[in-house]
Amino acid sequence: MASVVLENISKSFGSLDIMKGVDLSIADGEFCVFVGPSGCGKSTLLRMISGLETASAGRILIDGADVTGAEPSKRGIAMVFQSYALYPHLTVRENIGFGLSLAKRPKAEIEEKVKRTAETLQLGHLLDRKPKALSGGQRQRVAIGRAIIRDPKVFLFDEPLSNLDASLRSQMRMELTDLHAKLGTTMIYVTHDQVEAMTMADKIVVLNGGRIEQVGSPMELYDNPATPFVAGFIGSPKMNLYEGEVARREGCRVYGIRPEHVLITQSEGKWRGTVRHIERLGAETIVHVAVPELVTLTIRCSGEQVVGMGDEVNAEPVKGREHKFD
Amino acid sequence: MMSRRQLYTGIAALIAAIIIFIVPFLFIFLTAVKDKQDASLLTFTLPVNWQLWQNVVEVASARNYMLLLAYFNSSVITVAAVTLIIIFGAMVGYILQRRPSPWNKLIYACVFLGLMVPPAVVPTIWVLQWFGLFKTITGMVFIQVAYGLAFAILLFRSFIATIPRDLDEAAIIDGAKPLQIFFKVILPLLKPVTVTVIVVQSITIFNDFTNPLYYLPGKENVTVQLTLYNFQTQFQTQFNLLFMNILLVTIPPLIVFVFFNRQIVAGMTAGAVKG
Repeated sequence: MASVVLENISKSFGSLDIMKGVDLSIADGEFCVFVGPSGCGKSTLLRMISGLETASAGRILIDGADVTGAEPSKRGIAMVFQSYALYPHLTVRENIGFGLSLAKRPKAEIEEKVKRTAETLQLGHLLDRKPKALSGGQRQRVAIGRAIIRDPKVFLFDEPLSNLDASLRSQMRMELTDLHAKLGTTMIYVTHDQVEAMTMADKIVVLNGGRIEQVGSPMELYDNPATPFVAGFIGSPKMNLYEGEVARREGCRVYGIRPEHVLITQSEGKWRGTVRHIERLGAETIVHVAVPELVTLTIRCSGEQVVGMGDEVNAEPVKGREHKFD
Repeated sequence: MMSRRQLYTGIAALIAAIIIFIVPFLFIFLTAVKDKQDASLLTFTLPVNWQLWQNVVEVASARNYMLLLAYFNSSVITVAAVTLIIIFGAMVGYILQRRPSPWNKLIYACVFLGLMVPPAVVPTIWVLQWFGLFKTITGMVFIQVAYGLAFAILLFRSFIATIPRDLDEAAIIDGAKPLQIFFKVILPLLKPVTVTVIVVQSITIFNDFTNPLYYLPGKENVTVQLTLYNFQTQFQTQFNLLFMNILLVTIPPLIVFVFFNRQIVAGMTAGAVKG
């Protein structure tokens, strides 16, 4: 249990600046998600916290102690990798207990702790198997077990769910949230998937090009995005964003409206256009409308909405839900 | 179903293999169990008198049980050299693959020189004498390591490239020191390629004739291939004993090969494709 503070963290590879002065404070017990497009520096930032990568400048504090130059194993962190990184030649039992056996702990203690960890993760019956005999979800759990047994102050997850199929991913999301609730440990989670960020995080950190764009709770980011980048990144389907003439008429540089905040109206609306594409998802329908002055407008409406390809429709933004960025 | 053509080519291949591999071996065996006169004819016939055991005893006890000493020496040299080749080959391969540095180019150049430049005998002897290692088993071990290391380094390096770096990092987070990462995580995963190196190198070193001849003179330093000289002189050769000696000397490499031959193919192709 510990807070994590980053002070003016920078990272350069030669003349290439990956991180440009990041300041961030993560409270004790918080579930913090770093999200951003690939190449934004989120994994590098996580690896700097873990100690696998050194920071070019700045300080990292875990639980108040400066760990900027400390060995990864001395930082009180545990990490779960995207590829799980299980040792293929060791059984599940040995994989989970590897750290303890390196630390030369007594056999009985290791056995006891491995057993307890395995029970937490429902791995008890798999302890004697090798990783290649496990399914993706089970491997993931072993990787988490290897992290839990170290009793870390901070958990680090590097895109741990991206190798799983969709249904398993949503199940693991819930398991991870449960785990966080049970352990109450600070967790830092890296993903490029905004759904994972929205569903799991207490705090989301949106990164772009080596800088923090915005920090906030999921709904804060959804309701009040600070920049067009955050507005476009958080929420699915993407927010409709317009520059140029449209924005100027609204008195701003970039004008944005979320698809779910556009209504198809019978009467005259703000916009009028032709339906070009329809995605039916059952409960809801995503309609792409070609509006002359906007190019395209995405509208999310209920599944019962009757629209057909080529229909002329009127659309109206929900009052107070428009976003204007300067 | 096998077509007629497949059947014929199959049989032809088998016959070719028998002529190339089995017939010479059979000839060695038959000559090895003959008596002296019978063997000196060097014909491919069944022996008149079967004296297998008698010949074995005679070969083993020749020149004060020299063959047994040779077995011991050869085994020591082979085991020591192969062990060192594996440990250092894997270590150098690991560092070369994992830690890019400006020195790597120079190291590669040295490795390739080791593969390409033929060793010169006289200067090598000077070096050995300089270190006081000439005519010693230790010196012979070092020479075999020097000859075998370059190939092993390249083999290990390309195999290590297929081991994900995440494993090293997971071990670092688990608190492993560099040597622990190497011995507890990386080395066990190198098993297929290690087996290949064991087979190839141990057979080469055990069967080496010229290097022990140059660098390891002296009766007490004799290696198995040199014992073949026991039954060959300028004017007379005891073919039955010579061939029995060959037979006995062939056995250890054969055992190694039979034990490891299934894994050797896996090791040769491992690292070629990811999988």
